Amino acid sequence: MTTDAVSSQPSLAQNSRDAITRFFRFARQHGLSVGLGETEMALEAAQLGLMARPDHFKYMLRCICCGTQADLPVFEEIYYYFWTGEQEYKKSKVTVRDDRTPAEDARASLILMGTSQKGRGNEENQEAKNMSGANGLEKLRKTDLCLIAAIDEPYFDELAQKLWRQMSYRMKRRMKTGNRGGAIDFNKTIRKSIPKGGWPGELVQKQRKKVKKRIVMLLDVSGSMDKYSFYLLKFICVLRAYFEKIEAFTFSTELRHVTPYLEAYELQKALQIISSEVKSWSSGTRIGDCLADFNANYAKDTLSRSSIVIVLSDGLDTGDPDVLENAIKGIKLKTKQLIWLNPLKGMEGYQPIQRGMSRALPFVDEFRSAHTLDSLLELENFLSYV
Amino acid sequence: MTAKDEIAALVVEFEKYGYVLSEELATILFLNQKLEKPVLLEGNPGVGKTAVAKCLASHHQTDLIRLQCYEGLDVNAAIYEWNYQKQLLNIKIMENETDRHAVSREIFGMEFLLQRPLLQSITSPKPVVLLIDEVDRADEEFEAFLLEILSDFQISIPEVGTVVAHHKPFVILTSNRTRELSDALKRRCLYHWVDYPDFKKEVQILLKSLPDLDENLARQVVLVVQELRDMKLNKSPGIAESIDWARTLLALDSLTLDKLTMENSLGAVLKSQDDIRKVKTDHLTRLADLIN
Repeated sequence: MTTDAVSSQPSLAQNSRDAITRFFRFARQHGLSVGLGETEMALEAAQLGLMARPDHFKYMLRCICCGTQADLPVFEEIYYYFWTGEQEYKKSKVTVRDDRTPAEDARASLILMGTSQKGRGNEENQEAKNMSGANGLEKLRKTDLCLIAAIDEPYFDELAQKLWRQMSYRMKRRMKTGNRGGAIDFNKTIRKSIPKGGWPGELVQKQRKKVKKRIVMLLDVSGSMDKYSFYLLKFICVLRAYFEKIEAFTFSTELRHVTPYLEAYELQKALQIISSEVKSWSSGTRIGDCLADFNANYAKDTLSRSSIVIVLSDGLDTGDPDVLENAIKGIKLKTKQLIWLNPLKGMEGYQPIQRGMSRALPFVDEFRSAHTLDSLLELENFLSYV
Repeated sequence: MTAKDEIAALVVEFEKYGYVLSEELATILFLNQKLEKPVLLEGNPGVGKTAVAKCLASHHQTDLIRLQCYEGLDVNAAIYEWNYQKQLLNIKIMENETDRHAVSREIFGMEFLLQRPLLQSITSPKPVVLLIDEVDRADEEFEAFLLEILSDFQISIPEVGTVVAHHKPFVILTSNRTRELSDALKRRCLYHWVDYPDFKKEVQILLKSLPDLDENLARQVVLVVQELRDMKLNKSPGIAESIDWARTLLALDSLTLDKLTMENSLGAVLKSQDDIRKVKTDHLTRLADLIN
C-alpha cells in the first residue's frame, strides 16, 4: 500500500514521502479516518511546494485529515506528537483510540453497566440483567429510559436519532405511495392548454388533500417522570413534519404551556429552556387539577376532531379522583384519539389499580408503556394511521 | 511562482474584494485550485462561508453558480429536468415522421434538457465556481447524487449518457452542522472549520467592508459583539451581524457607541426577542462600562 502511494509521486524527496505516509499511518492508528486516498492527496499537495513553510504544511494536512469539528483537537494532538516523537505519545496515552465506532463503544460501556451501577440499588441491576437481546445495542433499545447511565447517554442519543430518522423516512415513503396522482382534472387541464393552442401539454391531476393531524402532548414532569417526558418530547419533535401542529404542556402541580419554546429555537435549546423554566419540574403531582385547567383554558383552541392527545404520566395522583375523571372525560369528548403512556406499565406485574389511573382508563383509547426506545418506536403505528 | 507566493497573493487578492482571508483558508483555496478537490466549509451562521465562494468567483473572474439546499431537494431541481412541453410539441411537429427512433433521438437531445445548477456548472464553457450552500439541509439521499459529481465531475443522464465536465468547476460546500454529513462526502472534500475571527481580524473586516467607518467605532462594535458571543445567547451574532450593526450606526450618524445608541440599535445585531430582552435587562450597563 505504502509503496504504491509513493511510486506515483516521483519528484518529491524520498524521505519526505516516507514521513508523510508514516504520518498518515500514525493518524489512522490514532483515531482519524484517513486512508490511501488521503495519503495520495497529501503527497500530491506536498509536491506543490507546501513543505516550504511548516504552517502551510500543517494547514494542508489538517484540511485533508479532518472531516468534522471534533477531529480538529485529535489532529492537533497527533500532529504534535508525530513530529516531536512518536514514542512519547504511545506512552503518555494509556487508552489509545483505535478504529472503534461509537456503537462499539456503547457496547463496551454496557458491559460495564451492570457493575458501574451497583451503588444505585439491586432493583436496577435486576432490570439490566433481565433484558434480553443479542448485543449491547439491542439491549440499549430495551433499557428503561430512567436507567440510561450518564456514560451511555451520548450513545443512546445517537442510536435514538438514528432509529427515529429511519422511522421518519419510512413514514415519508408511506405517505408518498399513499397519495399517488389521482384522476385527471379536465377542467384545469383544458384551461392550462389554452396558451399552447389547445395542446394538453401539462396534465393536471386531482389529488386527495393531505390532512395533517394536530398533536397535543400533556407531559408529567414530576419526580420520576421527567426523563420519560424529555425523551417523548424529543421523539415527537423529530416527527414534527407529519403533524399540522405540535402543542406541548407540562404539568405536575400546575399546568404550563411550553409550545412557544418548541417553535422559537432548535429542540436542544428548547429542552434546556423548558427544564430551567418549568418551576414545577420534578415535584408532586395533581393530575386532575392540571387536566381540568387544560380543559378550561386550552382545550377549545388546541383540540379538534382530528387531533391526537398523548398524556404521559404514571397516574399517581395526589388530588381528587373525581376531578381527574371529569377532566379526562372532557378531553376525550373533544379529540379523535386519546393515548395514555404510562412508563410503569413496562414493569412486570404492574396493574393500573391506583385511584387516578383506574378512573381515567375507561376513557383512554390506547394505554401503552413507552418506557424504552423500542416502545417509543411502536408508537409509529398509531401516529401514522390515525 | 512558488506555493508560498501564490498563497500570499490569494490573501492580497481577496482583500481587494473586502474579504480578510486567513493564511489557512488561503492554503486550502490554493489546494482547491491545484488538486481540483471540493472544499467543505463548516461553521456557525454568519461567519462568511458563502462570501468565500463569491470572492473566489471574482478572483477567478468567472461566474458563481449557486445551489441552495433544502429539505426535499431532488434531482429535478438540482441537476436536470426534461422540458416536457417542448418534447410534446416536438412530437406533434414530427407527427408525419415514420422513423420512431429519429423521433426519440430528437426529443432526448441536450436542447430538451432544462439545466439546473449542477449540470450547468459542468457544461459551462469556462470553469465556474459552484457553491453548494447549506448542504446539511438536503436529505441524505441527495448526498449520494453529489458524490458522482464531486469525485468524477460527471453526471449520468440515462437517456443521453454521461456528461463529463469540459472544465472542472471550483466547488465550495458549506454546512451549518445541523446534522453530520456522510463519510463518503467528507472524504472527497478538503475540510475547514470557519471560526469567529479574533478581535483584530474582525476590526479589520469591518473597516474593509465599510470604508467610511471610524476605526474607534469599529473597535467598540467588535468589543461588544465579541462579548455578546460569550453570553450563550440563542442566536449568537456572526460577522454579518457586526457589519449590519456598524452600518446601522453609520446611518444613525453615531460617532461613538454609548448606552442609549446601543439600546436603540440592538435589533441590528441580535435577532431574537428573548436575547434582546436578556441583554437589555442584565448586561447593558456592563457592556456600556466595558466600552469606556
